Amino acid sequence: MASPHWTLSPDRLGSMVAVLIGIALYAAPFVTYRANRIAAGAARSIFEALPPTTAFVLVGAALSVAIVAIFVRRSIVRLAAASLGLVVIAPCVGLSAGFVTPAGNTFARVSPALGFWLLGLAFSLLVADALTRLRLGPWARLGALSIAAAAMALLLFSGAWDGLSILKEYATRADSFWSEARRHVLLAIGSLAAAVAVGLPLGVLCHRAPRLRAAILQVLNVIQTIPSIALFGILMVPLGYLAAFPLAAALGIHGIGAAPAFVALFLYSLLPVVANTVVGLDHVPATVVDAARGMGLSNRQRLFDVELPLALPVILAGIRIVLVQNLGLATVAALIGGGGFGTFVFQGIGQTAIDLVLLGAIPTVALSFAAAVILDAAIELSNGTSQ
Amino acid sequence: MIEIERLTKRYGDTTVVDDVSFGVEEGTITVVVGTSGAGKSTLLRMINRLVEPTSGRVLIDGQDTRSIPEDDLRHRIGYVIQGYGLFPHRTVAQNIATVPRLLGWDRKRIADRIEELLDLYQLDPAEFATKFPHELSGGQQQRVGVARALAARPELLLMDEPFGALDPVIRAKAQDDLLAIQRRLRATIVLVTHDMEEAFHLGDRIAVMDQARLIQYGPPAELLTRPAEAFVERLVGTADRPFRLLSLAKVEDALEPGLAEGEPVAASGTLYEALSRLMWCGRQDLPVADGTGSVIGRVSITGILAYGRSA
Ligand SMILES: Nc1ncnc2c1ncn2[C@@H]1O[C@H](COP(=O)(O)OP(=O)(O)OP(=O)(O)O)[C@@H](O)[C@H]1O
Ligand SMILES: [Mg+2]
Repeated sequence: MASPHWTLSPDRLGSMVAVLIGIALYAAPFVTYRANRIAAGAARSIFEALPPTTAFVLVGAALSVAIVAIFVRRSIVRLAAASLGLVVIAPCVGLSAGFVTPAGNTFARVSPALGFWLLGLAFSLLVADALTRLRLGPWARLGALSIAAAAMALLLFSGAWDGLSILKEYATRADSFWSEARRHVLLAIGSLAAAVAVGLPLGVLCHRAPRLRAAILQVLNVIQTIPSIALFGILMVPLGYLAAFPLAAALGIHGIGAAPAFVALFLYSLLPVVANTVVGLDHVPATVVDAARGMGLSNRQRLFDVELPLALPVILAGIRIVLVQNLGLATVAALIGGGGFGTFVFQGIGQTAIDLVLLGAIPTVALSFAAAVILDAAIELSNGTSQ
Repeated sequence: MIEIERLTKRYGDTTVVDDVSFGVEEGTITVVVGTSGAGKSTLLRMINRLVEPTSGRVLIDGQDTRSIPEDDLRHRIGYVIQGYGLFPHRTVAQNIATVPRLLGWDRKRIADRIEELLDLYQLDPAEFATKFPHELSGGQQQRVGVARALAARPELLLMDEPFGALDPVIRAKAQDDLLAIQRRLRATIVLVTHDMEEAFHLGDRIAVMDQARLIQYGPPAELLTRPAEAFVERLVGTADRPFRLLSLAKVEDALEPGLAEGEPVAASGTLYEALSRLMWCGRQDLPVADGTGSVIGRVSITGILAYGRSA
């Protein structure tokens, strides 16, 4: 190979991004137009969906990103280009809704189509890759997440997307959206909190009493293998029985609804919390524990001053698994009347209204993603202090 | 004074420490040597009750250690292990402050003590107090480990292969530092090693262990001149026995009256050093000077050889 400086060697990801952009621009519809909520859709290309100048700006921006993706290696440039791409297409898709819908028509629905999703995917891939290569520290990653969240909020609250069908679904059920959102987060985080409150002491117990360890972990393992819907079913019986008591009923415990969903999520959360606590404690260096005992730290002092702080990154990794898992699993809770974003997903499936499905699915994915980023940063920060 | 009385430890059917007794004088270093698995660490850990003895007892100044609550006992006994076990999430200063904090010393007193110890160990407090263990070299970690153990002025310091992880050059320096600090603080130390060299260098008394039993306990010279068993003889090595002996003896032990030419040797130096000087400068004898520098006699090659044979 001659001097690598002069050879053009586009990397694989860059080329793939460029190909995606190419398909999106020339072979895929930008939005789908439907006469009403559940009617079949008709494809609209970029030039059909947007005023000519806007369409040219969009195509120009997308092509520029493709060129950068192929020829430019510097991550910061790629990041800037891809972010710019996102900044262009996001309002454009909102704009197209107004452009495509005949004036005065309130039944028509416009939703992003394959071309938009491909562009979004291509730009996001490039952003994610550039961010990874930049090796941002935990604080910078949290900063990037806040910027993304702020941009999202701006788009949603400025009304730029109000013409899109998914937001029309939202508009007709804004109240229930936020109450289901609260329910979803409460289910996921509440069951996690309960699992930490129970699992952490249980993990410490397993660590200190090896006889119990095998038995406890075995039971939790078995629970973990029960499919979620079956577990909901299993829980309905005893909780339904409990609900016959006035006190339990007063506490809101029923055979169906939030109670079995909460208990099921709690049970699923236990294994990762307990197992990671045990592993984290096991990996505290033996010399450190020996020195702590030798200097006369009591069992309590040893646990809180030495062992738990050193096990923290591993414990947090367990909590990360649980939180991401719970945010997803909480969707299934809707099946037994537990509420949450799953309500929209299953309603949408029932009505074959894909927009309604997305209204439930997209926030769920966004929440899981944000939770993963935040906890990854927390893990790294706790690692930094315990090195 | 530490008295170890008939200490025994059994795990199931295997006896790991078998009926071991000896006494440690205040302000001295006792080194426990032996092959791997001889029970040295177990013996040491029974002194601060990290391991509960199956039978026997340990007295500190006449007080049975079993009558003292475990944690209180350990606050009074410094403990240094191979690898040191520094707390990785705590700074050097916080590590050293561990036991003083447990004892409820006030902030000022702890800070003063940390500075004093870092100075003692030639670690600049301004630079090292806020460092984390992973930012230190092996030798520095070792010094912090010992400083931490000495922080609350323990009556006794237990050290389990404290130099085991150091390379030979730093190890020799660390041993000399320990000796200097021990002489200065008049600390009582029980140190475990399997390095005979180290035992002879540091020990006021040496306890030799093999297969759970204490085979011999006495001053280093006694191990050379009157090894209790063939095992001890093997352990100390017979080939360089005379040289070992000379390195244990002081110049004043072979002092002869009279005068000699040349640069005087110190009376407090070892005969080993004196012999080496004599051979190197090609003389038969050299004057001997005491601490004040005045000549108090002479030392000769024949005198040294005679001493070596007589032992
Ligand atoms: N908790 C325990 N349970 C069972 N056997 C043990 C236990 N602790 C130590 N032993 C055994 O006791 C014997 C002595 O162990 P010890 O650690 O005291 O030896 P050592 O002289 O310090 O050896 P080394 O020089 O390798 O450190 C070994 O055979 C060891 O396997
Ligand atoms: Mg040992």
